[in-house]
Amino acid sequence: MAPIIHVEHLRKVYKVGHEKVIALNDIQLDIQKGEICCIVGPSGSGKSTLLNQLAGLEKPTKGCVYISGQPISEMNEKQLAKFRQAHLGFIFQSYNLLPNLTAAENVAMPLMFKGVGRKKRLTMAKEELKRMGLGKRANHRPTEMSGGQQQRVGIARAFVAKPEVVFADEPTGNLDTTTTRQVLYRMLDIAKQNDITFVMVTHERELATCADRVITIRDGRVESNVLVDEEQKQHDRAEMFKDILEAENKAPPEPKTTVPASSIND
Amino acid sequence: MKISDLLRLSTDNLRRRKGRTALTVIGVVVGTFAIIVMISLGIASNAANEEMLQSWGDLTQIEIYNYQWGASSNEVPVLDDKMLETIRGYEHVVAATPIYQASDLNAQIFAGKKDRYSAYAWNMFGVDMKSLEAMEYSLLDGTFIADDTNLGKKKIPVLVGEYMGYEFEDTRKSPNSGKRRRYWGDVDAQGNPVLPFVDPSHDKMTLRLTAYTGNGTEKTQDFQMVVVGTLKKDETKNYFTHSGVVMRVEDLKMLEAAYKKLSGAKGGSGGGSVMISANGQQIHQKDNGYENVIIKVDNVDNVAAVDATLKELGYETNSLTQIREEMQAQVAKSQMILGGTAAVALLVAALNIANTMMMSIYERTKEIGVMKVLGCEVSKIRNMFLMEAGAIGLLGGVIGVALSYGASLILNNLNTIMAFFGSEGVDLSGIMGGMGGMGGMGGATISIIPPWLVLLGLGFSTLVGILSGLWPAIRATKISALEAIRHE
Repeated sequence: MAPIIHVEHLRKVYKVGHEKVIALNDIQLDIQKGEICCIVGPSGSGKSTLLNQLAGLEKPTKGCVYISGQPISEMNEKQLAKFRQAHLGFIFQSYNLLPNLTAAENVAMPLMFKGVGRKKRLTMAKEELKRMGLGKRANHRPTEMSGGQQQRVGIARAFVAKPEVVFADEPTGNLDTTTTRQVLYRMLDIAKQNDITFVMVTHERELATCADRVITIRDGRVESNVLVDEEQKQHDRAEMFKDILEAENKAPPEPKTTVPASSIND
Repeated sequence: MKISDLLRLSTDNLRRRKGRTALTVIGVVVGTFAIIVMISLGIASNAANEEMLQSWGDLTQIEIYNYQWGASSNEVPVLDDKMLETIRGYEHVVAATPIYQASDLNAQIFAGKKDRYSAYAWNMFGVDMKSLEAMEYSLLDGTFIADDTNLGKKKIPVLVGEYMGYEFEDTRKSPNSGKRRRYWGDVDAQGNPVLPFVDPSHDKMTLRLTAYTGNGTEKTQDFQMVVVGTLKKDETKNYFTHSGVVMRVEDLKMLEAAYKKLSGAKGGSGGGSVMISANGQQIHQKDNGYENVIIKVDNVDNVAAVDATLKELGYETNSLTQIREEMQAQVAKSQMILGGTAAVALLVAALNIANTMMMSIYERTKEIGVMKVLGCEVSKIRNMFLMEAGAIGLLGGVIGVALSYGASLILNNLNTIMAFFGSEGVDLSGIMGGMGGMGGMGGATISIIPPWLVLLGLGFSTLVGILSGLWPAIRATKISALEAIRHE
């Protein structure tokens, strides 16, 4: 099966004063449809730059990013906007909700850009919020919500238009551990349910335990690109979301503690 | 993205910053208000002038004064029938008629039994009937005199003014008696209008030439005046419509010839008028054809061109269009100065809008970035900001128009309002130009806001809004999404 994201010889060079800084150097990547993919790496490794490249927020110096076979690096601004409407979702670290819109209106924004009527898109947005456990918060403004709630609104916004790929840039970076787990659980749950490819940048290596694929970036290069062992993954997820799963009265998947988590460490 | 969504976003954003929006709108209000009021003053001033001119006479007429004195005017062509034909041939000229007066003629009109009633025929004119018709003179009854009308040797077809009958006096009453004359507009004890002694359209009237020969003998010759039609009084056309007697030029010339024959004067026409110059010399008026000719032009706008042609020939002319143009120029000048001031106000408002939009875009940089990342096209972002700027302009325009309506109402009723507060009235009607004040009395309309001005005001203020928003809006679209979402 053709990969949903295909990166070919991607190179990004920034000019800082007179010096050239090579942020990304000859990146080659394939991400399959429906995969949960974590991009990890130390600060300044180029992981955020890679995500921006994948999401088409910046043009590469060289090379090309293909999503669903389309060369997004070669699109003009208008084509890219249309492509984003149809295929991509985005979750920000600092939530980036519009302060003068209600939660439901914020969630409905991508649908508005697509041209969906107000009534229909607000209904869809409220459903999405309900799925995020925020059904009663639909008409609240971002300032009236906690960070975790705001980020869940952000997640609903990214998923509401049923995109093929959702990108997330440090989505839990501003949240405490408990909230991080809740938010993470929601994201993974919804991505898995809808067979949506999910690409997340994080510097918290711990979070990568729940991914299908972990890509490690160092000094602008792919240091490792590993598919996580299925059993390991099951175990880690069960461990990580134990409280949440219990709270939701869901039977945790069978723990398989025997396999050590080794493959994702350097 | 739908237009309704764009509109909602724009208005939401404007509402979010109520204070700033209000201040910006006020700027536009002041500008629009100033411009509309200034233009409305000009319109009213022009309207007043127009009305006044109309009361003075027909705007499409040019009058030629052809009084040539002394020898200095050789180059002015003779204004005879041939010349008249040439003038009639000019483009835009509808008609041309001499207003011919036989100044030497001594004639009286008699009516009634034994010529009881008489009137001095001092108000007798020879004209071109066709031209009179073309100049839209209206008749109360009868017809204009056709060229080929021939009633016989001693019968002269005439048109009379509406109140010509009041010219007659009763010769049986003493010259000091109040009953010797009747006047138009008088009423009797019952309040009914006093009718004249003679009804020209029914009573028989005799025109009597009275001449004195060299040895002092009085000689008379009678002609019968046959009234073919009665002119409707319209003093904007000519005062002879009031109480004059109008006939064909050739008939009047015939009377003149008959009179000369009667008085035994030697040949050679004209040369009658004499003027004494400053150094005591006698200057004889040159016979240069018709002294007074009226020309009708098809349209007010063509009067100036025809007038120029006539002046080129050497004639002295007069038309209300000349005055009208002067008045309009005067109003236009005042309008330019006041309108210019108003335009400056609107320009400041435009800068204000641009500034507000720049601020707004700076504040919302992050939002713009987020919208871009979520798939909003840049053209939509640009349109959103243009709509905001346009909405500021439109809102300012609407309030400005409403205020100017109020101001207009106050200005037009200033006297009433001042009287209410016990002050004396003021007349501002001359505000746009010296002439304006003469147009109306008392509560003159000094500000007129026609519907097109309202639309112009709204359209212009909206346009100003959009234009001032253009640069900031384009700037907004240029912001890179990545930089925008990092913006704090």
